[in-house]
Amino acid sequence: MDKLIDDEMLVAQFQAGRQNAFDELMKRYKSKIFSYLLRSVRNYEDAEDITIEVFFKAYRALENWQPKAKFSTWLYKIAANLVIDYHRAKARHPVYALEDMEIPEANLVATDQYSNPVKELEEKELGRIIRDAVDQLSPKQKAVFILNRYEGLQLKEVAETLGMAEGTVKIHLHRAMKRLQTILNPLWENNDI
Amino acid sequence: MPKCKKSEGQAIDYASKLLSTTEGEAFEQHLKNCSDCNQAVESFTTVLNLTDMAEKEVTLPEVALRDIEMNVYKRLAATQEESLFSRVRAYFANLESLLQWHKTAAASTLVISLITAAVLFGELYQPEVRLQLTESQSADARIEQYFQQDIQRHLDDAMITHHLRNDAWETESHLERVKEQTQGTNWMKVPQTLSFNKTTNEVAKGY
Ligand SMILES: [Zn+2]
Repeated sequence: MDKLIDDEMLVAQFQAGRQNAFDELMKRYKSKIFSYLLRSVRNYEDAEDITIEVFFKAYRALENWQPKAKFSTWLYKIAANLVIDYHRAKARHPVYALEDMEIPEANLVATDQYSNPVKELEEKELGRIIRDAVDQLSPKQKAVFILNRYEGLQLKEVAETLGMAEGTVKIHLHRAMKRLQTILNPLWENNDI
Repeated sequence: MPKCKKSEGQAIDYASKLLSTTEGEAFEQHLKNCSDCNQAVESFTTVLNLTDMAEKEVTLPEVALRDIEMNVYKRLAATQEESLFSRVRAYFANLESLLQWHKTAAASTLVISLITAAVLFGELYQPEVRLQLTESQSADARIEQYFQQDIQRHLDDAMITHHLRNDAWETESHLERVKEQTQGTNWMKVPQTLSFNKTTNEVAKGY
């Protein structure tokens, strides 16, 4: 609750002409927005570009922003809309998607203190398979799943972010889970894990 | 064995911890006697454990993260330049089409161009801040005030132009310095101020 007041106070300060208030808002939310975008587009460069775009748009719209919802929800909403645009553009230009210099999947995951390189590779491979499964969800299912599960947004906030009713959010979430179950079930049925 | 009539949704919500305390307790009661739902909860919990594990591996690039603020300000600055450029271009395109339209009537072209120029000059050279002087103020004070305003305006222009032209904000400290220099710059107001001055210069050169 404190956070809500703080964010809104910062917005008010920004609206009153204190530019540093916007820096503080960026500092607070850049990691969250970045990680949401990285999970949504699975590409570092694009995620970074869209993160910049989110704050760029926020800066320009913040002057007239009214605190109807939480600031963070509004920010996620900008991000979610940009993700839709991104996937639309990708679908329209599939040639570019092939030509894109995608960062190898291995680079997307943290290297840590595994002692067994074979096990490490297996774990990374498993992680990739599971993330691929998440990417197979419909855009709405994936957005709902990621916002709720990994960004910690309440269903109500997810609804506001994606501009849908809370009931619809739940339907997408249930479908997402069932789909993931269908895709991933063979993994543990075949004792792969 | 007949399948449990409870919806799978309950099992999903339970596994995802989305049920309220009362709902959760009620469902736990049901779980005591329903193997179908137990199985479903177990399955969905596994799904979540797997995705949690996989998604936690996704790490943010520290360097990119550190540069976000700087890049946002760069992006803002670039747009100001863009909008400025397009304004100047639109202005000349407009003027050109105006001239072309009157190509057949040389005399009227000349007259209209002159009128256009005069109107534009009048508009463009309007002082940014209108002087609010009472009649009682002496001429000296008036000149001094003009002088001060002029200095201030040139200073602001120089600062903003420097800020916009600067493509090499390579370090955070550089960004900080630039921001210090432009403290008080309202980025939303920059396009108006800038296009005013640049357009003025371009027009002055062109004629
Ligand atoms: Zn049951």
